[in-house]
Amino acid sequence: MAEDKGRILELIKRVLFTDFVKGLTVTLGYNVSKSITHKYPDEEKWVPYRRFRGVHTLNRTETGKELCVACELCSKACPTQCITVIPMEDDTGRGIADRVAKVWKVDLVRCLYCGYCEDACPTRAVRLSREYELACTDLSCTVRQREDLLKPVQVPESFEGGVIAKSEFLRSKRGIKVKVDLSNTRKRPL
Amino acid sequence: MVTVKINGKEITVEDNTLILDAARHAGYEIPTFCYQADLVGIGSCRMCLVEIEGQRKLQPSCVTPVLHGMAINTETPTVMSARASMLEFLLANHALDCPVCDKGGECELQDMVYKYGPHKGRHAEPKFKFQEKDYALSPVIIKNSNRCVQCLKCVRVCREVVGANVLGALGRGDHQEETSFFRHFLDCDQDGNCIEVCPVGCFMRLPYRYKTRPWDLKGADTICQWCATGCRMVIEERDGVLIRSKAQFGVGLNSETLCARGRFGNDSMTRAERLKTPLVRRFGKLEPASWQEALAVIKDNVPSDGERIGGIASPRLTNEELYLFQKLFRNVFGSANIDSSARWDPDAVEAFIKAASMDAGGVSVFDCMESETVIVIGSQVSDENPVTDYIIRRISAGRRMNLVIASPRAMKLDSSANLKIRHTAGKAGALLESVILSFNSARVAGTGGLEDMASGRLASVTSEAGVDGEAVESLARKLKSSGSVAIMAGTDFLRFPEGIAKLGLLKDLLKSSGKKVSVLPLLDRANQRGAWEMGVHPSLGPAYARAKQKGLGTDEMLEAVSKGALDFLYIAGSDVASMYPDEGVATAALGRARFLVVQDTFMTDTAKFAHVVLPGAAFGEKEGTFTNQEGRAQAIRRLMHPPGKAKPDLDIIRAIGERFDPSFGPKNFVLALDEIRSGNRMYSNVSLAFNNKKNSDNRLDSKEALVQGAGASDLEAKEFAQKPSAESAEYPFRLITGNHLFHSGKGTMRSETLSGLLKAAVVEISEEDAASLGLKNGDRVRVKSKDYAAVVTLRTARGSKNAHAFLAENFEDCPVNRFLRRGEGPPMVSITRA
Ligand code: SF4
Ligand code: SF4
Ligand code: SF4
Ligand code: SF4
Ligand code: FES
Repeated sequence: MAEDKGRILELIKRVLFTDFVKGLTVTLGYNVSKSITHKYPDEEKWVPYRRFRGVHTLNRTETGKELCVACELCSKACPTQCITVIPMEDDTGRGIADRVAKVWKVDLVRCLYCGYCEDACPTRAVRLSREYELACTDLSCTVRQREDLLKPVQVPESFEGGVIAKSEFLRSKRGIKVKVDLSNTRKRPL
Repeated sequence: MVTVKINGKEITVEDNTLILDAARHAGYEIPTFCYQADLVGIGSCRMCLVEIEGQRKLQPSCVTPVLHGMAINTETPTVMSARASMLEFLLANHALDCPVCDKGGECELQDMVYKYGPHKGRHAEPKFKFQEKDYALSPVIIKNSNRCVQCLKCVRVCREVVGANVLGALGRGDHQEETSFFRHFLDCDQDGNCIEVCPVGCFMRLPYRYKTRPWDLKGADTICQWCATGCRMVIEERDGVLIRSKAQFGVGLNSETLCARGRFGNDSMTRAERLKTPLVRRFGKLEPASWQEALAVIKDNVPSDGERIGGIASPRLTNEELYLFQKLFRNVFGSANIDSSARWDPDAVEAFIKAASMDAGGVSVFDCMESETVIVIGSQVSDENPVTDYIIRRISAGRRMNLVIASPRAMKLDSSANLKIRHTAGKAGALLESVILSFNSARVAGTGGLEDMASGRLASVTSEAGVDGEAVESLARKLKSSGSVAIMAGTDFLRFPEGIAKLGLLKDLLKSSGKKVSVLPLLDRANQRGAWEMGVHPSLGPAYARAKQKGLGTDEMLEAVSKGALDFLYIAGSDVASMYPDEGVATAALGRARFLVVQDTFMTDTAKFAHVVLPGAAFGEKEGTFTNQEGRAQAIRRLMHPPGKAKPDLDIIRAIGERFDPSFGPKNFVLALDEIRSGNRMYSNVSLAFNNKKNSDNRLDSKEALVQGAGASDLEAKEFAQKPSAESAEYPFRLITGNHLFHSGKGTMRSETLSGLLKAAVVEISEEDAASLGLKNGDRVRVKSKDYAAVVTLRTARGSKNAHAFLAENFEDCPVNRFLRRGEGPPMVSITRA
């Protein structure tokens, strides 16, 4: 009995194209809803949350001394061994101690962005920034050296993140850069 | 034997065993800072506290011997909390600057706190600091006292093992600082043993400062290349640069000690000036060439007549290379002209081998030190074999024995000796003869005329040796009363050969009077003994078997080259121009050579004369075995690849051999060793399996590595009468020479650290002589012989024999071989203020 009933119902559904209509409603629904596509990178850019882990930075004290003491703990802690630190002695006051990094480099294409290096650092010299745009035209930019990493990053620490900001897309020989206007942001839907 | 219970486990140990050793024996680990086997126990750090049942207080196990029936607990909560508390005390004022400390990663304090320590600090008070900045104690030592745990190991090793005794404790309690005399710059042996024993980052090596972390280093467990003591060490590199060499506790015959050369001298290996490609002389200039070309040129120039070919191989090559070298000459070139030393006469070498019974197999230095009387003669052991000096000092301090030192020069080991004999240089033979006569006086006593003759002779040889009869008699008495005697005979017997037969005579005499006699040669090149035993000698083949045909030694080869009787000279690793004891003769001969092949790691003075230069590998770039002075065959291991196109010497010698005979030679060092083992009786038991075997309990004497006896031998011991020096009032000082403490041959001059310690030559005379000349330590003086003069710095030595001047043979700015003349005795020199 019940079996027959089910079969009849199935037949009616087929005749009336119910599944097709169901699918179509979803499509049509999206068609009229507000778009969530970012116009990245031409016009807009997502500014990540504060806890986001991007490219490394090396930091200084307020007086401009390098915090890194070249202890190599970051490179030891790193699960992918992508950090190379070579220490040296320097008495000129460059760093907070007379031990400073001669070489500090990280291979970004090997990095997992796990943040272990940050955790290991006794002086909080290495911090992962919110920078995530790594596209470039050759492989040279995948290894970042100390000199680059010591440059202050653009996004201010006080900025919350997790929003979409107006941006400009700049392409140059050196790679691709996105210039963000942090005063012009909108909440990221989702 | 006593029986004790440790953690409930019953064990039986020797009387007077320390609780610590007993517990370790039973398999329980007890942490320690201040305890070190071989150093006097002081029980100062209290890390090793254990509970003894029935005693209220915990006891330091490193200074407490077991008593019968003791019940000891090493792992109770009380003991554990005592350990944590001790560590808390140590950390109270500890700098805790691990991130910038060079010891980080291999620090005993870190490990200990990690394992036992309080993992939380309770001290908020500001920490006591000795000083804000690290200070250099010497060109190789930098000090940070804030990290000290006051274990005094540095002070004890410096006093008890090295014998330099320049460290002490300043202040008391936790304000006690282990340092030099009021932190003055140290003028010591610079061997860095204080660095090695320091459990924390207090004594640190300056050349290693802020270079790396221990976990970045790749290491190879190998044998030192700088003298024949044969110390075991680990050499470590990072990114192709040799960073440091270190000893390991309880491993090798040296345990945790090395000398300055061993610890700091290996940086020469990765210098940029290394030879990287073969060079061939074209139109008078050496130009880079390929191996193919270089080998082809060599092949074209090898004469078919073996007599016109000669070879000199360095005693720093491995056994396998030396074996192949002599095989190349004897079997392929059909030439008997090979030698392994630029300095020594082959007949003297043969006599020395016989006198020192080297053909009877290896003799362990530890066995020698078991003897009742140990005589050190003909060696400046403190400078030439520093770690042998440590071994002698450490063991002689711990037991009742006679240590007799006979040498014209004062040396550090003198303080351990109970008889010092200062004989005239080059008169060891007369000294030995007087000892023999004095020893034998009983035999001739009452024989009338013979007695007078003997005593007359005794008086004359005693005065010839320049010693007083009292010292000789005292030595003879010591010999008479000892059941076992060890003679350590050094290279002075070979520099100006003399007294070798007397050495043999004394040995035989002592043996025939029923004493146990061992003779240990003290040699200054890492594989000198190996070179002889491999048969790189004009009249001796492998295992000291007489070669079918007697060839020319270095000396005769140079003469033959000069005369045009020798066309082809192949020098592997030896710097003949700067080491042959007459520079003029050597350079004249090399300049006249029709075809000279030099194989070396650097562009040496000799290589500048070459027609073909072949770039060889340094000791850390190849594998093989070295035989040290005792006859211990030990393996050296490869750490790096040779730079550029340079090749291991074994491959080079084989490549040359294969040009003539495609079936020549084993393909690698293991096969070469197999070939040596099957053909050389002395090496038949040598195995790579026990080479460099680890000993865990600081038993350093791995006897199985000693080579066997060669069986019946027909070595000849000629007596060598030293050519007398031309004495004159104008030149009052007798020049003696040897290696400086910081240098070995010319090789160490390429080490940045060692040449930083001492680069310019120094001349050493006795304090009395200096005073009578109105000179003092550090003055610039002119050393002048009839042939050559140089201005060098003066060092004075307390207790050296007067009218003797010591000039080390290592320095570029004062080549000793310019003072020396072929066929003449030791030169006489004058010393005047420059
Ligand atoms: S984020 Fe992780 S993977 Fe990347 S460098 Fe740091 S530790 Fe290494
Ligand atoms: S970044 Fe931090 S952890 Fe890495 S070497 Fe520098 S101080 Fe040490
Ligand atoms: S300097 Fe090192 S070896 Fe010397 S007492 Fe201090 S911790 Fe011990
Ligand atoms: S004593 Fe000799 S073998 Fe030992 S470290 Fe010094 S030079 Fe090397
Ligand atoms: S190890 Fe016993 S007191 Fe230091």
